[in-house]
Amino acid sequence: MRNYENLVIVKPTLTAEEIQASVKAIEEVITSNGGEIIATSPMGMRKLAYPIEKNERGFYHVIYSSIAPSAITEIERRFRINEELLRFVTIKYDTNREIAAFNGMVEKAKKAAEAPKVETPVAEAPTETPAVETEAPAATEAAAE
Amino acid sequence: MAEKRKYKKRYCKYCEAKVDFMDYKDAGALRFSLSERYKIMPRRLTGNCKRHQDMISIVIKRARAAALVPYTVTRKQVVVAPFENLK
Repeated sequence: MRNYENLVIVKPTLTAEEIQASVKAIEEVITSNGGEIIATSPMGMRKLAYPIEKNERGFYHVIYSSIAPSAITEIERRFRINEELLRFVTIKYDTNREIAAFNGMVEKAKKAAEAPKVETPVAEAPTETPAVETEAPAATEAAAE
Repeated sequence: MAEKRKYKKRYCKYCEAKVDFMDYKDAGALRFSLSERYKIMPRRLTGNCKRHQDMISIVIKRARAAALVPYTVTRKQVVVAPFENLK
């Protein structure tokens, strides 16, 4: 078993319930292939950096899991068939340093899941999200420089 | 004898901050090593060390695949503070 991170982008044209159902189905694909989901973190609806299949936005969902390396091909094949997915990215966390970072991210995701939901991007209408979040990236940018 | 140095002597900001791991999901943090057209900035301009430049280039390419950072922008799309309206 090895630690993997799956980032999936679900189509924005679906309703909130359909997105949740789709995410459930994606997690089901991982568990049915012998994977074990450690944590999940929904990043919510956000604008894509470039249009994918003529969609300007997408629902980001990150799944941290521990999967047997041989099962990855099958999981990715199933993702490719799924028409509700715009894009998926699978990242392997293998070396000691990466595993430490992986555990840190898992902790963060779990904490975020436990904490009372301040902002629920799923429930909100997708058109209203940008105004709220504009302040956060400016702060991180300043810190980076 | 010595040629005049074209750029100021740089140091690696990632080494200074003791960065061990970069997360591709944090698009704002990648901005430092990207030009305004989202090309990966060369080491001679940013002063990154080889180790951190290798790390950042991998992470930027991942972020591009995940549509967090654009591959290219055309002249019309170039804006001053790009990550503000990415969200």
